[in-house]
Amino acid sequence: MSIVSEKRASLGLGSGVLALLATLGIALAFYRFATGIASVSNLNQGYPWGFWIGFDVLTGIALAAGGFVVAGLMHMFGGEKYHPLVRPTILTAFLGYLLFIAALLVDLGRPWTIWHMTIMWHHESPMFEVGWCVMLYTTILFLEFLPVVFERFHWQRAFQVWRSVSPWIAIALLVLFAIALVQKPAWVIAIAAILVAFQLGVEFGIVHRNPRMPTMLMMAGIIFSTLHQSSLGTLFLIVPHKLNVIWYSPLLPVHFFVSAVAAGLAMVIVESTLSARLFGRRVELYLLKDVGSLLAWAILAYLALRGLDLVFRGVGMELLVINPQSIAFWAEVVIGLLIPLGILLTPEFATSGPWLFWSSILVIIGLFLNRLNVSVIGITSEYGRTYYPHWMEIAISAGIVSAGILVYIYICRNFPVYTHEGEPASGR
Amino acid sequence: MAMKALLIDLPRCMGCRGCQVACKHEFKRPAEKTGFFGGPGYQNPADLSKDTWCLVTYNEVLVNGRFEWVFGKRQCMHCQVPGCISACPVKALEKLPSGPVVYHKEKCLGCRYCMLACPFVVPRFEFTSWNPYITKCTMCAHRQAVGEIPACAKACPTGAITFGDRDALIREARRRIATNPTKYVHQIYGLEEAGGTCVLHISSVPFDKIGYITRGVPSSPMVAHTEPAMKAIPVVMLGLAAILGLGYHLRTRLEHNRSAGRPPTQA
Repeated sequence: MSIVSEKRASLGLGSGVLALLATLGIALAFYRFATGIASVSNLNQGYPWGFWIGFDVLTGIALAAGGFVVAGLMHMFGGEKYHPLVRPTILTAFLGYLLFIAALLVDLGRPWTIWHMTIMWHHESPMFEVGWCVMLYTTILFLEFLPVVFERFHWQRAFQVWRSVSPWIAIALLVLFAIALVQKPAWVIAIAAILVAFQLGVEFGIVHRNPRMPTMLMMAGIIFSTLHQSSLGTLFLIVPHKLNVIWYSPLLPVHFFVSAVAAGLAMVIVESTLSARLFGRRVELYLLKDVGSLLAWAILAYLALRGLDLVFRGVGMELLVINPQSIAFWAEVVIGLLIPLGILLTPEFATSGPWLFWSSILVIIGLFLNRLNVSVIGITSEYGRTYYPHWMEIAISAGIVSAGILVYIYICRNFPVYTHEGEPASGR
Repeated sequence: MAMKALLIDLPRCMGCRGCQVACKHEFKRPAEKTGFFGGPGYQNPADLSKDTWCLVTYNEVLVNGRFEWVFGKRQCMHCQVPGCISACPVKALEKLPSGPVVYHKEKCLGCRYCMLACPFVVPRFEFTSWNPYITKCTMCAHRQAVGEIPACAKACPTGAITFGDRDALIREARRRIATNPTKYVHQIYGLEEAGGTCVLHISSVPFDKIGYITRGVPSSPMVAHTEPAMKAIPVVMLGLAAILGLGYHLRTRLEHNRSAGRPPTQA
């Protein structure tokens, strides 16, 4: 009993700090809306994008990738055993996206016009793709999270409706996305045909119906997530003149996708470990070991991709001279890839909870460094502009993240996120 | 309508900044508080800004063993296939058939992706406003619409700024270089940069010596670099839908057959 009460006390202190950070961040955000971006940030004409894009947008979205990675595992490899991980990762991904949208509103100059993207279409723009992925994938995540709410309030009828309607909503969103971004009707029709055929197969009992979650919903999540992670890389394809050759590659979208998969796996480990501690549950170590070995494979794949990419583009000397960019590159590779890979490939460590946890933390730090490198450190601006984040930029980001963690804890305490022995309310 | 352009003949510029003043006047942009700064000294202000869309740059360049003032001009280059336009998610930027790249402020979200995309570092953002817009040169599209020439070209007293059809101006630039081959470097800046621009510059010294961005500006339009990835979207969607759908179906079938009779996932 004493251990439990101690945990409560330390959590109380932690929550207090988080609440303080959240309040400060939100207050600063209001200040920014009243006075303009310049009063809280060092963004300037040479560096229109800074810490907010590097951390809130690029890193935040990659860390929310756990949602689709686990969905993918479940879906493709029948990992029914991974089911305990599904709800928490969906919740993290959903909250992550909501936070990211909040952060984006701070970064956008005129956030009240954000709805313009829904009617002013421009299929050529990577930013348009990013915006649409955010809108539609957040909707999918919301739909995926709904059963938790239904279960909490015992809304069995709503669950039934959800189960029959949500796959069709998913199809509608996918087709709408295709119409907005693909100019050739033949492609749109082909995509729609495959999706509808699959769903009809489910409806008529040809394809197996997943009792917990419509498969189409998971497929839509995986497709939107894949597109979103890679589209963030596409954003930077337009700066061959500004982004350092170490990072600028035509394969940038693929880099972003593969590293997001690795970060998503790391997030699953970190999140399960932390929430187990926080809520006094047992860590699902038997599952996390598997996730750890997948993480090792993901790191290897990413290393091979980046390595070959550098070789084929003939980048060599740039990595050996000593300048901020090369140091940033090696920090990213050593901290985020080589050290965690070493840990995960050592048999004694790969099965130990704490080592898995810390190697995952390193992967996440490495991903943050990579995104910061691509969006800020690797960017050269002409005419002598420089940029360092203002403390208020960091405080606003920290406030948003703190608010998110508090909401996460609240939902986990009050909704059946971790009661995974249960089928959804009306599952049987 | 033929695509219009500006030809900037830098050796004819005497650094009077008449174009700069005319531009401010035309668009009612306020003056800036400026001071001397290190480097190009007499240049004023130091950089393009939200209120300065046209800037005469002052460069001290070693010419034949002695330092001379050589002037440059910075403004929106009005690319033929502009990076800012392909970047903008809501089509707030538009290329008019007559040449100018114009901005529809009411559409703009303030995402600043156009600033990142611009190879010439031109669009400026009103960071100090609660309701900020992008600002930049419009090649006086509103004047062109009523048959006038851009304010900077109108103001220039030495004929350093010529307004006309782009093709005609390219011929004229080539003629000037050919008839005076020792006076000019044999390059038209803007002929091929970023896929070609509607502001063409000719100079007496190499362009990198007078602060023009030469290194890294691709000769292809900026959109050529994002296009392959954007074209891959339908392939990714179709491929994933097919692989995921088929993979799921085959796996569940297999499990179903294996557990003979028992529904597979309720085990």
